[in-house]
Amino acid sequence: MSSSRDQEISEFKTEAMDLLDVAEKSLLALDSGGDFKLHYDSIFRTFHNLKGAAGMMELGELQSHMHELENILVNSKESAVLKKELIDFFLRGVDATKQLLENKTIVFDYEVPISEPPIDSAVTSPDTPVIANAPHKPSTSTPSFVLSESSMGEFLAECDEISERLSKNFLQLEQKTNSQETIDTIYRDFHSLKGSAQLFGFSQLGELAHLMESCLDPLRKKKVQLSNFLVDVLLKCIDLVDRMIKSIREKEPLNFKTQIHALTEALEKMISDPQGDDSPMPENIVPQETTTPTTPGVDHDKESATTIRVPVPLLDRLMTLMGEMVLVRNQVLQYSSQSDDLEFLNLSQRLNVVTSEIQGEMMKTRMQPIGNVMSKFTRMVRDLAKELGKKIEFTLTGAETELDKTLLEAVKDPLTHIIRNSCDHGIESPQERKRLGKPEIGSIAVRAYHEGGQVIIETRDDGKGLHRNKLLSKALEKGLVTHDKAASMSDRDVMDFIFAPGFSTAAQITNVSGRGVGMDVVRSNIEKIGGVVELNSQHGKGATICLKIPLTLAIVPAMIVRCDNDRYAIPQVKLVELVRAEQNGNGPKIEYLQGKPVYRLRGNLLPLIDLKEILRFPKTDQQNSEVVNIVVLNAEEQYFGIIVDEIQDTADIVVKPLNRFLKSLTTYSGATVLGDGSVAVILDVIGIAHQQQLITEKKDQLLKATNSREGQLKNQNTQEFLLFKLNSPTKHAILLSYVHRLEEFKREQIEYSGQQRVVRYRNSVLPIISMNDFLNFKPKIDISENEIISVIVTQRGDSVYGLEVNEILDVLSTENVMETGLADRAGILGNLVTEEEIIVIVDPQRILMEISKTMNQNSVTPSSQEGATLTIGKVFSPKKLKILFAEDMVFFRKQVTKVLQRAGHTVVFAVDGKDALNQLENTERDSFDLVLSDIEMPNLTGIQLAKSIRLNSKWKNVPLIALTTRCDKASIDSGLKAGFDIYLEKMNPEELLNAVNQLIHSKSEEIAA
Amino acid sequence: MSIENNIGISSESDSTKSTQYATFYLGNRLYGIDVMQVQEVTQALPVTVIRLAPSFVKGLINLRGQISTAIGLRELFELNTEEVKENMTVVCRIDGNLLSLLVDRIGDVVEVNKKDYEPTPDLIPSSIKRFMKGVYKTDGPILSVIGVDNIIAELTGRNEQSHNKSHKKTQGAFQ
Repeated sequence: MSSSRDQEISEFKTEAMDLLDVAEKSLLALDSGGDFKLHYDSIFRTFHNLKGAAGMMELGELQSHMHELENILVNSKESAVLKKELIDFFLRGVDATKQLLENKTIVFDYEVPISEPPIDSAVTSPDTPVIANAPHKPSTSTPSFVLSESSMGEFLAECDEISERLSKNFLQLEQKTNSQETIDTIYRDFHSLKGSAQLFGFSQLGELAHLMESCLDPLRKKKVQLSNFLVDVLLKCIDLVDRMIKSIREKEPLNFKTQIHALTEALEKMISDPQGDDSPMPENIVPQETTTPTTPGVDHDKESATTIRVPVPLLDRLMTLMGEMVLVRNQVLQYSSQSDDLEFLNLSQRLNVVTSEIQGEMMKTRMQPIGNVMSKFTRMVRDLAKELGKKIEFTLTGAETELDKTLLEAVKDPLTHIIRNSCDHGIESPQERKRLGKPEIGSIAVRAYHEGGQVIIETRDDGKGLHRNKLLSKALEKGLVTHDKAASMSDRDVMDFIFAPGFSTAAQITNVSGRGVGMDVVRSNIEKIGGVVELNSQHGKGATICLKIPLTLAIVPAMIVRCDNDRYAIPQVKLVELVRAEQNGNGPKIEYLQGKPVYRLRGNLLPLIDLKEILRFPKTDQQNSEVVNIVVLNAEEQYFGIIVDEIQDTADIVVKPLNRFLKSLTTYSGATVLGDGSVAVILDVIGIAHQQQLITEKKDQLLKATNSREGQLKNQNTQEFLLFKLNSPTKHAILLSYVHRLEEFKREQIEYSGQQRVVRYRNSVLPIISMNDFLNFKPKIDISENEIISVIVTQRGDSVYGLEVNEILDVLSTENVMETGLADRAGILGNLVTEEEIIVIVDPQRILMEISKTMNQNSVTPSSQEGATLTIGKVFSPKKLKILFAEDMVFFRKQVTKVLQRAGHTVVFAVDGKDALNQLENTERDSFDLVLSDIEMPNLTGIQLAKSIRLNSKWKNVPLIALTTRCDKASIDSGLKAGFDIYLEKMNPEELLNAVNQLIHSKSEEIAA
Repeated sequence: MSIENNIGISSESDSTKSTQYATFYLGNRLYGIDVMQVQEVTQALPVTVIRLAPSFVKGLINLRGQISTAIGLRELFELNTEEVKENMTVVCRIDGNLLSLLVDRIGDVVEVNKKDYEPTPDLIPSSIKRFMKGVYKTDGPILSVIGVDNIIAELTGRNEQSHNKSHKKTQGAFQ
């Protein structure tokens, strides 16, 4: 652990030095009259970044030092000019920072040398010890963090805990020689003691802790061995710590300088002379415990043998060369395949193997799991939560997702900012959260995953989110937008303000964040590496920030396809399968649906895109080629096929980004050099799908379903029908636009929900309606013998239904007009006369309406028992209700919630009866208008829930609806007896809404009466 | 791109050292690029066409494993594209991106005198002027200076208006 920490520290230091150099340059530029805004920003960013990074690296002194500098800097922002004295001051500050980084101790005077005389002349106390940290002197001009009584209590409790643990560990250490683990624990405790002492401004305690820490350091690194003398001194230190804590608790001034001084002197000797040869207290040092001088050297050698530091540009160069080597390898392979020389073949094979291996290892040098960076955040969130008095749960998924080292470095800072912001501004205080009915513990979840050749890092919190009006008023105040414009701005544009420099909605500037530098840095850093930042927020619900990082350097496996004379690469991640469709064979062919090509892939309609068409190749007449190659792709769970001329090969390609001015071509995601040295463009699968509106197709279908039938019939000359067979000599058909999908189910997949046959389908339930039954066709042959049933999935409103048919026959495209005169019964639209036959056109919407009517009649409601009629579709004055919904199964929860939300109600769900009861207990009377519950749930069933509610004085009058699949008479009776007002069957949206409305209506009438 | 700006850019480079331009021809017209921006000059290499790209993007070139974007200056400068003899490319590296400018013929590297400088005349349409940094009256034909960074900025700006927007915001924040 210690070695990785050392490495981190050294990396941090290198980076910090660079940053400081930049700040220094900016300061000097300001001195020579450079642009204030530009350089001010750069200096500010350095300070802010360093502060944040130091906090993360647990470098307390550095953090407080940077905080002070930043505060002073902010004061001069308004004046838009940095006085000479201030520039000198900051340059000194930067120098001091560098010293801090070199592990030197500094004494820094934070008094701003403004022309007016310093307010506090006694700047440094005369007896400042030699080993002193940056004395944290809360300056009068800038308020640092305000300490509340409660956080002080926490601090003291922590100190007690630490000191207790320390004493215990030391005793252990004394008995059991050198246990590395114990030493590490002690070291950590010293360290956190130091950190929190400094945070709370107890510099003496901090000093002491620092002192102890620094004398333990050589021990921890095994440079010296533990001596009794050291233990003695340290124990004395701990005693002193205890006394200090006592003083702090009793609010006495700390006055232990002499003691610290004495201990410092004793320890200083120890540190400067670990061998203790001429120590003034030789009697305390046991001779054999001194180390031989060679030991540290050996350790050092060992360490340097396992890792070396390599400059990243060198790795970059190696990567480039690697790419070229792969090309040469490919060319050699291509050449050798035409050769008969066995020796040469052998050699080229070996070259192949070795090159592949080098390539693999080369990649590893650069790839690092995101977890390396992200795991630090767990600690950071914990500390921040404590500091801010919040309760935050931090989850991290996808830590194993690998990202190029440079990119990883580049996302580290932005992520730090995002998470800090979430902690500080996003998550509310526990009290606030309780008041809002949120769980007391806020959550911040970071998820990293690969998608579409990008790594996506998503940070989601459930805090207060962004407030449009707050953002707007701030933007107006800052003059970023005019009043006229503000009203018409979209939410997205408004949220964009958060990325403007200096923009912060936080009311109070804290040590954590709030100066609005963060998001500005986030965007510029991410865009620098070609990434995108997306922000989504709902006021009161939280915010999600998505970082999309390209994998520019990654080698990805790809499929090379040919289109005309061009070659294109398709990333394999998106590839599902390759299909060869023979146009003249018996198998499925390419068909046309509303003029768009589709292909029936194992019963599903696969939308097709002709690559030539999207790339706008000049049209040729070779439409009817015998064989069509289809590459089936998956873009955000939407499958589609791309028609290409030839599928050539798979290859590992090095993705190179396209020039910036070509980024707008969403068809491509990059380019690559192929084995033969030619360049191929990489197709952006998701981009194409979006372009062709395949991904948004579902929404379109919804629109289509709501369009009037007549409109569809009239507006198009050509209509396409799906022909299917029923137990009737005549073929039946429905309009293709009604067809959502074609599915095949095994008979054993069918389940029953009440009387209704259903199939589980994509996380919800698909009711299966037999067309034969509906149209009263007597089965000639017993179709139930068939193992597989063919189902046409169609949509009505929000729900999907399955129409069972005997066999799907064909797609018919015709201009013939349908004759509607012979529509002899419900569900039949009319007839279509073609040259050969007459086809009956079925109206699925009507059928579904009829079916749902009969479904509704089956359910029992008290009103219908009492004779009151419950008319379908009758609308009571729609009142927006808050409904508590108890349901243990996710898909029912989703479905019912959707239905209720559509009707404008708010749904709060509970995972079971117990949860529901708890929620009711914890909320105020009347905060729910209605309780909806499943019957069969774990922990507490619906029946038990109803009984409990009816016995509860607070809630006994709340309307209760049971929603269940158990709809036999006995269940209904017991449900009603338990206290449910209405007992409904699941899967019946209209009826549910009606029942809700009706129940509320009757209740309110009751109250009115 | 205002005239003051053009002068600003050139005077900046003048103050450090006298400017050298790598020159080349399109037809009989002489153009120059700041020699510091030129990485190399190559023979015409095979170009992979990028379909859907704007007409001035002639395609991609494999330059020893690196991918360079081929830019047709004829298209950019609205020159006659019929008598094309683009045999050479001038490779520039801007912000790590490679651009191969397709040209007919390579000229000398010339050192120019500041006194010969003149901002791009107003009679040049602004669609072309935006890529230019001015002209030098040399002994031979007039040398038109191309700003490669102007080209990138203009072309990028054309596609990334959203970015421009955010830049404006940046400025606004400090006013």
